[in-house]
Amino acid sequence: MRNYETFSTTADTGIRFMGRDFRELYGNALRGLNLLLFGANLRSTSGCDSAPFAFRGDGPENVLVNFLSEALAQVYGRQRRVAAAVFRRASRSAIDVRLLLAPCRRPPKVDIKSVTYHNLRVEKKNGVMRVAIVFDI
Amino acid sequence: MSPREWNFEEIAPCRWRLSRSADGAMTADAEVFASRDILNQALADASIEQVVNVACLPGLVGSSLAMPDIHYGYGFCIGGVAAFPAEDGLVLPGGVGYDINCGVRLLASSIPAGEFAPAAEGAGLALLQRIPTGMTQRSNYRLGKKEFQRVIGGGVREIVRSFGAEAGDLEFIESGGCLPFDSPGIVSPRAYERGSSQLGSLGSGNHFIEVQVVEEIYDPDAARLFGLEKDRVAVMIHTGSRGFGHQIASDYIETFRKRNLGRLKVRDPQLVHAAIGSAEGKNYLQALNAASNFAWANRQLLQEDVIAVFERILRQGRDKLGLRLVYDQAHNIAKFERHEVGGEAVDLLVHRKGATRAFPPGHPDISERYRAVGQPVLIPGSMGSRSYVLRGTGHGAEATFASSAHGAGRRLSRHQAIKFSAQADVRDRLRRAGVLVFSLSAQGLREEIPEAYKDVDDVVAVTVASGISEKVARLRPLLVVKG
Repeated sequence: MRNYETFSTTADTGIRFMGRDFRELYGNALRGLNLLLFGANLRSTSGCDSAPFAFRGDGPENVLVNFLSEALAQVYGRQRRVAAAVFRRASRSAIDVRLLLAPCRRPPKVDIKSVTYHNLRVEKKNGVMRVAIVFDI
Repeated sequence: MSPREWNFEEIAPCRWRLSRSADGAMTADAEVFASRDILNQALADASIEQVVNVACLPGLVGSSLAMPDIHYGYGFCIGGVAAFPAEDGLVLPGGVGYDINCGVRLLASSIPAGEFAPAAEGAGLALLQRIPTGMTQRSNYRLGKKEFQRVIGGGVREIVRSFGAEAGDLEFIESGGCLPFDSPGIVSPRAYERGSSQLGSLGSGNHFIEVQVVEEIYDPDAARLFGLEKDRVAVMIHTGSRGFGHQIASDYIETFRKRNLGRLKVRDPQLVHAAIGSAEGKNYLQALNAASNFAWANRQLLQEDVIAVFERILRQGRDKLGLRLVYDQAHNIAKFERHEVGGEAVDLLVHRKGATRAFPPGHPDISERYRAVGQPVLIPGSMGSRSYVLRGTGHGAEATFASSAHGAGRRLSRHQAIKFSAQADVRDRLRRAGVLVFSLSAQGLREEIPEAYKDVDDVVAVTVASGISEKVARLRPLLVVKG
């Protein structure tokens, strides 16, 4: 498995990603989402605004859903993609982050409506956390 | 346990039961309405495990059910039906799905298919031009907060009041197009933000507007009551509550998780639930009503747009064109209904996720006009294939809490569908088959190729063979506008 990749189920689609720590895990979640939305993890930050965000949860699954839901709200509600994330804190129950937000120059390839909890579990093996998230499209 | 080890028994034609003894955690049996082929597909894609997971929930009335278009979803399978006691049972947002009150609406007309054919290209372009489709934020009905609150409180009644829709349509919409909602404070600002810019839009994915011709009548009495006449044009609209419903579902899954997940034993976190009588349960049901009202209002506004296009293109008024609503039904919803269980009338909360309500003849909650034959059941096929109109039956009322299939059901994932197709092929191939396709999304078309879905004829054959609905008419597509 790569650090992040996309996959499909019969009706929906999702991302798989991994990380040795939460900073890497959440960062790869964002890269996977961008890959799914735009066909590439667009790293260009020209013309970006940045804003601080805080996400809390009762565990990493909950934090991930809140984090990715905000990234989707930026894309579909504000037409801005989250080009990068500068984490100030990343733990199993919290993210404090500065998001770099760039205008969407082209529409996303897929209309993701929600982040689901379907079979969502952060599993740790040999010091690496692995997650698969299914999106409702 | 390997899914293929489930020991299903065919207890009646196309009705398979898995006893609760198959899994120590099951509190009820699981039943699947399927042919052997459809059952095998469901076993292969793990949707049967989802039916079993629902059968493990406490307090389930009857069995965990799956309709003939069963396929893999998240939490519930698509095609899943589950009922809980209205008094002290459970409510599950995952048993409704994210697109709350996604549903189908069918219009009949007196337009001969031959007269429509020369205008089809123009009609398709005009529909695509007028109706916002895909991911656009464009809306023909951008509303202020107060106006929007009136729509989510009044549903189609508000569209009749403020947008001039026909009051006569109300009796041909499930629940009259309005469920009670009077607590605007329980809907999040983000849901308002997503919803207020999307009223009157089709959306993306498998949503569509299809102009069809009535190709075959199986039940002339029912067809006459439904206003369906052979070789006449009909219009089918498939969409839901757009971002508004999705946001409400996301918000309440989050709320349910916070309050309940730690003490619940669920195999999939998507099956998080609450007591119907709890504060969060009551609030979710209220918010679900708001999203349902939005969806009915949305389909009503799309209907008004379709009628306006037909009037302009065909240069005749609605009455002259004979355009009238046959029925509007939800297929992602939870509703309080009374059903007979063990010889007694019991009030239940029936969850249907990718399943259609199919009330039998004589049911008091369907229009008087249709009462003798039962509720219309609309089963759209995949893009380019036939759709069907069926009707509810007494057997269905007994066996499935009056539920039926809702569509063909996906067979290929979207990635598989894209690999399978070449974009030029899709439009050209369908055009050669007599179906014009209009869409702003090339990728969307490739994802929705006919091969991506089960054969709707098989789904309908099982639906009829199992006795849960009866065929009334078959419709052939002439043009499709895809989201």
